[in-house]
Amino acid sequence: MRLLGRFASPRSKLHWLRRSLLLSLAMAVVLPAGACGDDSDKGKDSSKLTIWVDAVRLPVAEAYKKEHPDLNLDIVTYDGDGNGATTMQTKIQLWNRTGKGWPDVVFSQQVNDPVWMAQKPFEFAAPLNDLIPADLISKWPAPSTAQCTVNGKLYCVQDNLAQVVLWYNKKLMDQFGYTVPKTWQEWAALGSKVATEHPGYIVGNIGDSYGHWIYLWGNQCPLEQLNGGKLLINSADSHCTRVASMLDPLVKNGTLPPLSVFTPDFAGKYGGAADKVLMMPGPAWYAQAVFNDTLHIPAGEITAAPPLQWESETPVTTGQVGGGPWIIAKRSKNLKGAADFVIWATTVFNPSGKDARPGYPAYGPAADVWLKDMATNKYFAADPTPALKGAADKIWTGWHLVTYPDQPVWSNTVVTQLVAGKSLSSLMQPFGDALAQAAQASGYTVIRQ
Amino acid sequence: MTVTIKATGQKPVRAQVTRKRGLGTMRGLPFVLPYLPFLVAFGILPVAYAFYLAVTTDTGGWAGFDNFTRTVRDYRFLPALEHILLYTGMWLGSLIVIVVGLALLLHGRANRVTSTFRFLFYIPGALAGASSVLVWLFMLDPSVSPGSFLLRNVLGSHLFVESIAPGKLPFVFAMIAFWTGAGGWIVVMYGALNTIPHDLEEAARVDGAGPITIALRLKLPLIRKWIAYMAILAFATGTQLFVEPQLVNQASLGQVPDTWSSNQLAYQLAFRYGDFNGAAAVSVDLIAVALIAAVVVVKRTGLFRIED
Repeated sequence: MRLLGRFASPRSKLHWLRRSLLLSLAMAVVLPAGACGDDSDKGKDSSKLTIWVDAVRLPVAEAYKKEHPDLNLDIVTYDGDGNGATTMQTKIQLWNRTGKGWPDVVFSQQVNDPVWMAQKPFEFAAPLNDLIPADLISKWPAPSTAQCTVNGKLYCVQDNLAQVVLWYNKKLMDQFGYTVPKTWQEWAALGSKVATEHPGYIVGNIGDSYGHWIYLWGNQCPLEQLNGGKLLINSADSHCTRVASMLDPLVKNGTLPPLSVFTPDFAGKYGGAADKVLMMPGPAWYAQAVFNDTLHIPAGEITAAPPLQWESETPVTTGQVGGGPWIIAKRSKNLKGAADFVIWATTVFNPSGKDARPGYPAYGPAADVWLKDMATNKYFAADPTPALKGAADKIWTGWHLVTYPDQPVWSNTVVTQLVAGKSLSSLMQPFGDALAQAAQASGYTVIRQ
Repeated sequence: MTVTIKATGQKPVRAQVTRKRGLGTMRGLPFVLPYLPFLVAFGILPVAYAFYLAVTTDTGGWAGFDNFTRTVRDYRFLPALEHILLYTGMWLGSLIVIVVGLALLLHGRANRVTSTFRFLFYIPGALAGASSVLVWLFMLDPSVSPGSFLLRNVLGSHLFVESIAPGKLPFVFAMIAFWTGAGGWIVVMYGALNTIPHDLEEAARVDGAGPITIALRLKLPLIRKWIAYMAILAFATGTQLFVEPQLVNQASLGQVPDTWSSNQLAYQLAFRYGDFNGAAAVSVDLIAVALIAAVVVVKRTGLFRIED
């Protein structure tokens, strides 16, 4: 009422109006200014080094910081772009668009990331040929540097090799009186035997976002094969279908559950006190990272056997899960510092015991030290290093790295349907179709057979 | 969204009203003015920019409808649209029926009881956005959820991956959205019901109307505009679903596609493929859908009529 009363005289009304106008204008000007007040770009210090790592690589970055207390190091942790996430793509697009903010060094869990990082429209990765001495690079295995080479230039160095081996529980195998299988057929036969003799125990799992890298990559299923500019995706190839028909009975009888090892469900059912993992085809970094740290399987039980062979076919090939690369940003103002960090992280950093690097170091001399330490590691029931070392050069080279992540395609077309009770054989066709769609959306010319 | 509502609101109804409103506009201006710069900066300009991007190529040339036809043909466009329409349908339906129903029930109770219930209904809404999704991720995991018997017996899921199976997702997201949004709307509807003059209710009662007749034939028509307002806002936020599927995508390690909703598709097109024009086209599609829905609701309910 009082407010309305003020409008009684035209003069006071005008006065009131003017005052509120001024007030609102002032607010409109001040508020946005306050909101962006701190956004001034201080200019990038050339001695500053920004490093993006996943949680697993955080100790490396921290150890480097400790070794070099005088350096201005900014360590940022992120999801590592794992499981086919597109965190890095989205970030780089934003940095490129705003023209600032690029980190100097990035670690990615995704081995194919450098492929798109090196190309348009991202053009994020710097060629490393001039940044890392050639004699150092020559000590990475040839297949590893080949995976980092895009259009003839080296755009990354792998942190670790991620060859798939057959992990098994020696204690349980001895207790049940089983011999460690050498071929996929022996392994599958043992799976059927376990289902009847010791139900509840498992011979592997197929619910991870990278299940196809374990079972299909290793068995030479052509799902990502670049042939003269065209991408071959043939999920109907016998190398694919025969694997699917071998795995189906195991998924059905419960010895190969479609569950991820990283879920609480899996740990509760098969890990720790339950201790139901009899065998598990998986990458080198499963060693302690999964069996000890994630599943809490007691010490003195787990060890590794060589990768499984398909019948009597030679040469034996295996899959790859990870092999995360280090990438240096092209726009880094501190390329020298970035290179120094990457060299240190891959060739020097190599602690022993429980702090040991989780993965098999890709840099040869570092691998030797790591293997020596692993051989005496009390966690393992037997020395796993001969199997790991033997598998290092057996990764099938017919699976090429592409610009799009294939893990989400596997997860949402295959894993969700396996959970729903469908057979892998019936899903191979939709899987191939979905991969082809993803490939075409990324600009590939796809051939299906 | 807001733009249309304002614009339609300016429409004169009668000559007399116009004269009155001319004065009203003058008086109202200082109240609206602080909001205007923000509306322009964060509402109108981005929408205009999206329109510009949607009809141009990445080099700035004229593209016409190319971006629209290209994105509609994208193999992820239709599934995403289907997902959000299904989700929005479920959410909107439950929101209107349950929120209005609960508000009417509350309004008929004694004051002390209703304030307790209003508070209880409001609590889940205090957990907004991303944090509520995180809580729901645990709620949906049968191994840790306090409601695991419901998950097992109603949803039929014994594992987290079964809770978020593709067929259940629209339902799951609608449930999350409902429980985070419903409480606030119940309070709003309750406030709307309080504006109904008491003598109207009294008169109806004297005429022999029971509580159900009063609720359905007296109160419901009188809060029609508030329901329309809720429907417009809920439809717009529903079709623009992003946070829930994005977080579930990460939590499920990719089992839920990162292009589950149309808004996610726009995000992926922009930031994964660098196709900002395609992304803008998808966004414009979403604006168009929300605008059409808003206009239909406004016209049908007379939301901006001021004489009654």
